[in-house]
Amino acid sequence: MIQVLAFYLFATLAILSAVLVIMSRNPVHSVLWLILAFFNAAGLMVLAGAEFIAMLLVIVYVGAVAVLFLFVVMMLDIDFAELRAGFVRNFPLGMLIALVLLAELVFGIGAWRAGSIDLAPAGATEAAPMAASNIAAIGQVLYGKYLFLFESAGIILLVAMVGAIVLTHRDRKDTRPQNISKQNRRRPQDATVNMRPEIGEGVQL
Amino acid sequence: MVDLSQYLPILIFLGIALALSSLFVFLPMGVSRLTGTHNPDAEKLSEYECGFPAFEDPRSQFDVRFYLVAILFIIFDLEAAFLFPWAVSLDMTGWPGWITMMVFLGELAIGLAYAWKKGALEWE
Repeated sequence: MIQVLAFYLFATLAILSAVLVIMSRNPVHSVLWLILAFFNAAGLMVLAGAEFIAMLLVIVYVGAVAVLFLFVVMMLDIDFAELRAGFVRNFPLGMLIALVLLAELVFGIGAWRAGSIDLAPAGATEAAPMAASNIAAIGQVLYGKYLFLFESAGIILLVAMVGAIVLTHRDRKDTRPQNISKQNRRRPQDATVNMRPEIGEGVQL
Repeated sequence: MVDLSQYLPILIFLGIALALSSLFVFLPMGVSRLTGTHNPDAEKLSEYECGFPAFEDPRSQFDVRFYLVAILFIIFDLEAAFLFPWAVSLDMTGWPGWITMMVFLGELAIGLAYAWKKGALEWE
């Protein structure tokens, strides 16, 4: 009973916020609605029994990706009037993308109806023990059977990091970074001078 | 199967938070309309003593360095997310799982060293 109530709460809010993502005029508001949609998707995941995925949604999507979207939206210098002017011109392209997404949905449902893909030889797959928790079952296959995919994920993350640095990092002349070894090498006699000026004269530094 | 009853306190908390926050937003609006104090005019709505009119559009572009920090945050966030199932299932995956994770951490440590060496972590 409570589960059904919670499901309808999360599902309604998810659809509502998803509609508001595309309907709101300010892109920043769109991103905020997107964050709400992610939260509701996490609630739905908990209801479906995928606890770890739910927590990942909150940590990665809400915590990181949504912040990144906000950055992108705020970094672009958007003129809102100009943004709305291209609606009619971009309408066919938008409809095309919507059709592609719809086709993917249809294909996905068809593939689900057709049954699961059997990549491994029969009998080689062993189902995760149901007694183990969700996260332990994921860990067991991710670090056991799918080692190579996990390591490639690591390589992809490394490439993403290097790419982001190469694209956005500039050598800035106005920064004053801390140079610890130079700080530690500095002795009092390098920094201070003992002067004995004559009376009535200034100090020449 | 997941024991969903453990999540019931969170759901109750969510409900209370939703109810209280909407109360705090809509109750003053309703009360001010009912008691007749809701009477805005141009002078009341202006920034007359709590500030001044903005000099420029607040939505200006800002430095790309924020974006770089956000990207680095996402990558190490994902690394931490990968660590949780590894830590829980270590007794089942054994040495291969341990070595895999160490290789993964090594890859990201190379990335961190690169970012550090390039000065991407420096601000000013």
